[in-house]
Order: sequence, then C-alpha cells, then structure tokens
Amino acid sequence: MGGISLNYLVRRLLVFFLTLWVAATLIFIIPRLAPGDPIAAMVARLTYQAGFVEDSNAIIEGWKERFGLNDPVYVQYVRYMGNLVRGDLGYAMARFPSTVSELVGRALPWTIGLVGFATLIFFTVGNLFGALLAWTKTPKLVKVMIPMSMIFTSIPPLLAGLLLLYVFGFKLRIFPQNYAYPLGAQPELTLEFILSVLYHGFLPAMAIVLVTFGYWALGMRGMMVTIEGEDYMILAQAKGLKPFYVLYRYMIRNAILPQMTALAVSIGTLVGGSVLVEVIFNYNGMGTLIFTAIREQDFNLIQGTSFILIVTSALAVLIIDLCYPLIDPRISLEGK
Amino acid sequence: MSQTRSNGSERVVLNVEKLRIHYATPQGEVIAVSDISFDLYEGETLGLVGESGCGKSTTAYGILQLVQPPGYIVHGSIKVDGTEVLDLSEEELRSFRWTGLSLIPQGAMNSLNPTMRVKDQIIDVIEAHEGKQTDKKALRERIYDLFAKVGLPNRIYNMYPHELSGGMKQRVCIAMGVALHPTVVIADEATSALDVVVQRIVAQTLIQVKDEIGVSLIVIGHDMGLLAQIVDRIAVMYAGKMVEIAPVESIYAEPLHPYTKLLIDSIPSIKERKPLRITEGITHDPRNPPSGCIFRLRCPFAWEHCAEVEPLPIQVDRKHEVACHMFDEQFEERRAHAFATTANP
Repeated sequence: MGGISLNYLVRRLLVFFLTLWVAATLIFIIPRLAPGDPIAAMVARLTYQAGFVEDSNAIIEGWKERFGLNDPVYVQYVRYMGNLVRGDLGYAMARFPSTVSELVGRALPWTIGLVGFATLIFFTVGNLFGALLAWTKTPKLVKVMIPMSMIFTSIPPLLAGLLLLYVFGFKLRIFPQNYAYPLGAQPELTLEFILSVLYHGFLPAMAIVLVTFGYWALGMRGMMVTIEGEDYMILAQAKGLKPFYVLYRYMIRNAILPQMTALAVSIGTLVGGSVLVEVIFNYNGMGTLIFTAIREQDFNLIQGTSFILIVTSALAVLIIDLCYPLIDPRISLEGK
Repeated sequence: MSQTRSNGSERVVLNVEKLRIHYATPQGEVIAVSDISFDLYEGETLGLVGESGCGKSTTAYGILQLVQPPGYIVHGSIKVDGTEVLDLSEEELRSFRWTGLSLIPQGAMNSLNPTMRVKDQIIDVIEAHEGKQTDKKALRERIYDLFAKVGLPNRIYNMYPHELSGGMKQRVCIAMGVALHPTVVIADEATSALDVVVQRIVAQTLIQVKDEIGVSLIVIGHDMGLLAQIVDRIAVMYAGKMVEIAPVESIYAEPLHPYTKLLIDSIPSIKERKPLRITEGITHDPRNPPSGCIFRLRCPFAWEHCAEVEPLPIQVDRKHEVACHMFDEQFEERRAHAFATTANP
C-alpha cells in the first residue's frame, strides 16, 4: 500500500525541474522590463547620500561592464542559467561585495520559520474550527464563537499586520514592533534566544493566521458536511461508536484529504502573502529582502530571492505530493 | 427452504407499537411512517416490502433510532427484548446499539470508511462495546471466524474497502453486523446494489449466518421473488402504512389485500408476458393523505365506506393481519346496506 514507483518519481521530478526552469526564465525577464537599471539607481543613492559623486557616468559604465550588463540579453541569460545550475546566484549588485547566496542564506531560515509556524497554526486551528462547526455534538456557544473569530478573513494580511502592530505593538506594547530578534543579539541555539524569536515572530505569524484560518475552517466545514451525508457515517452511528472517535476517525480523517491538496496548492500564495507582513514588521526574512531588492532594482538579488522562494514552494508541493499515498490509502503512485 | 421455520418460537424479540415518523418540510409534514405496529419473533426472518418511498427504510431507521433530520419520530414504542428503545438515554442508546439492534446497510459500496482497513472497522465496533481488547491474537482469530461465517478469505484482513468487490464489501457488512451477536439484525436492501448472481449468494449467506447465530432478522427489499425464498413472513407497506403481514406461503398463495395482490402480480413471469398492472392510479401527496383507506385512490375495489373509515389491521389467521374493509366481519352487511341506499334514493 502507498508505494511510489520509480517511473512516477522520475516524471514528478521532471515536472519539478521544468517548473524551476520556467520560473527562472520569468524571473530573468520581468525585472529587465522595468525602466531604469540597478547601477544608475545605486549611483543615484550614493549621490543622494554624499551630495556629489565624481565621474558618476564612468562609475556607472565601469560597474555595468563588471556585472556584464552591457552584454546582449541572451548572453546574460545563458550566463545566468549556467550560474544557477552551479548554484551561483551572483553578487548583490546594490550591496557589492555581498553575494546573493549570503543574503538569502541569512534571510531564508526566518521566512521558513515564520511561514512554517503560521501554516502549522492556521492549518490546525482552521481545520479544527471547521470540524467543530460541522459536528452535530459541538456546544452551541462554540458554534456561535467560531464564525465571529473569522471576521479577519475578509481583510488582506497587510492590514491585519498593521492593525496588530498598532494595537499590540504601539498601544499595548505587549509585543515587539519589529525585527525577528532583539537588535544586537547574536543568533545562537539557547533557550533565551529561541524564546525571543518566538516572541518576535508571534505578531507577524498572527497576521498571517488571522486572515487565513477562516478560509480553511470554511473549506473544512464544507468537507465535513459532505462526509456527514456518507453512508459510512450512518453505519458508524448505528455501530454505537463513541462520538469523539467517530469525529476524528471517520469524519476528520476523510475530510482532511482535500484540505491537504489545497494546502499544497496554496503554498506559493502563502509565501507571497508573507512578503508584505515581513516588510511591515521589518522582519529580516525573504520578504524584506525581496522588497529592498525591488526598490534597489538589484536584478541579481531579485532573481536570487524569487528563485529561492520558488524552489522552496515547489519543494513543499513535491513533498506533499509524494506523501499523498501515506494519507489516502486509495491513492497509489505505483503505476499500473 | 425457510418455510419450515415459520412455526418456530413464539417469543417476541421486537415489538413495534404505533410507530409514526414524519419528515418536516417547508411545505408541511410528510407522513413517512403512519402508526405501524408489528411483532418480530425469535429466530424469525421478516421481509418488509413495498414500492420506493413507501417508508420501509424509514421504518427500519426509526427502529434503529437513526432517522436523519428533517425526519423525526412523532410517537410510538419500540421494545427489544422488553427494553423500550425510545426511552434510552444517549449513552444507554450508544451501548445498546449493535448489541441489541444492528444494521446491514443499503449501500454496501459506500458503507465502509474508505480510510480504514477492514479489520479496524470490525475491531472498532468490538472495542466500542467490549472495551479495549488486549489479546490481539484472540481478536484476530475472532475476526477470521467472522470472515469464515460469511465466506470471506482471511487475506482481506489488512485490506482497504476499495480493494474489495461489491459482494465482498457486502459480506464484510454482514460479518460486522453479526459480530456482537445482536438480538435483531436489520438488513436494509442489503442486496439491491449487487447483480442477480451475487445477490442470491449474498442473500443465502445472510440466512445461513442468521441461522448459525440464531438472531432475528428484518430484510427490507422490493424484490418479491428474492424475498419469497429467504423470509418467513412478509409485511407489505404502502404509503407509510402496513397493509398486510402474513406468513410467506399464505401471502403468495392467497394474497388478501388488493395492494398485495397487485404487488405479487407484478412479479415478472418468463412463461407469459403480461402488462404491468400496478401503474393504475396515482399515489397521493404524502403531506395530505386521503381520508379513510390510504390505498383507495388506486384500489380497484374501493367503495364509499373506504373513504369514510380507516381500515384497522384485522387478524385473519395466526400471524396474519390485513388492513382492508373487505375482511371485516360486517363487510357484506355494510356493503349490502350501502348499495341498498344508493339504489333507492
């Protein structure tokens, strides 16, 4: 039961790499369609800071040459692809001599942590609330409370973030207003540091959870109602099983399957949604990095960060896909 | 085959008294089951027949306390071995289920949980009523034993429902239904979804298991031919009413109620082609049943009295009741009077 054939694995991996290639190409093209270029933007910024930069035109030309921006686009594309394959994302143009890999390496764990933490919470809470909404034995009070808790579902994460920040960060001052950990602290594996990370990550994670879990609760409720009408539910009732056992072994177990698929599909959107939340909280993750990269028109950094986010999402989807036979016995990836 | 048993025990294991079930709809109450009363004797197999929508499944689900909203039991009494089912508390009912009354469901195809192994679905009902089983080996033997009773191979023990054929799923449901030796088993169109060959084999398995374990059985169906071969008595339902209940040999030899007659005439014969007679007339609106006899709109013998007075079940023989004015002792007298008055205005 639930095995995976080599044939399927190969096909699935091909799709995975195809996704990455298409994504990499799009990321290469899109920033180049915008007017302006990174070197000019950088020099302008230097000018703004220093008042006057001597020989700015020469500097621009020199740097353009150095980053290969004067080569024809297809040469740049081939070089970019070659570098990608070797895992070299290049220098961050606007922050030379930092490499993109360095910056991404520093930011990625924070985003994975934040989005992972938020996903864990909204998926659990959403499905649990949805299940309780549909269950006939749920106390009346709970059934009234749950829909009320979902009012945030209709606002974008950006606004939820601002609202939380204003209320809990500025007014009540219960939670820190920005950063993933206290300024000046060194990332290290101590309990104190981990607690402070959780403390700092709570508001941004909540901003994502609040606007997302209602969607999952409603989806789950719909699935539960469908399951409730199944023949095996009548039999479960006739069998005199304990109600709680029926809830999780008969109802939730079956209703959760489409939810897992939906989760796999929504991971990309989720990461995208976290960008703005990170920016609001000045959270030093991929979102903030992408945001500054776009502002600085740093082609390499935009490409690098976007590419890494796409790799992460595609990888998450791949993992959920391959796990499917484990959660649904009817699905076998063993081939005919 | 089964007819020899019909004179068996006199002990009543299930007594249904004036059971009434309504479905609440925005347009009014649909009367699905209307004051049905009958007894089921120990070791007996009772067939419940009638056309679609006559309330036979609703009756079964009413007895099992499984009527799904918007349906509800208006009144009645259901006694299993003297226990009033309708008076049980929720927890009492839960533990009474499957040990007192068990169900072999209508749609065996979808009646098993698709994400649980066959063994786990039988184990869960055993553990829900007998507590956690510590001796896993004995438990496995017990399930193999159930499999053997219904003719299932042991290799399906670890399988999922989607790996079984329709007939096998139905057998799993039978094995599950008798796992706790319930007092009464209700088989709700247990064979309807199967093809005729498998249908017959499964029906025979059902009777075999029933005899082996010694439970009482209610078989719901619309296939009069199949039922004739496996049941001891037949109860005929029409529009929520039980119109006749009789031993199988007398109902086929001499059906009394006009509806029963039509129903038996509807069994196709391979010797002669005959037109279907049952289509005459229409069924009334179940929200607004006609006065008097429920069947009078379609009955070829209906007369004034049928519209005025509702016929009550009349005992015509041992274990044989019919609800029709024609079998009333005063029938001839009444009709003579009626025709006399219409003849001389």
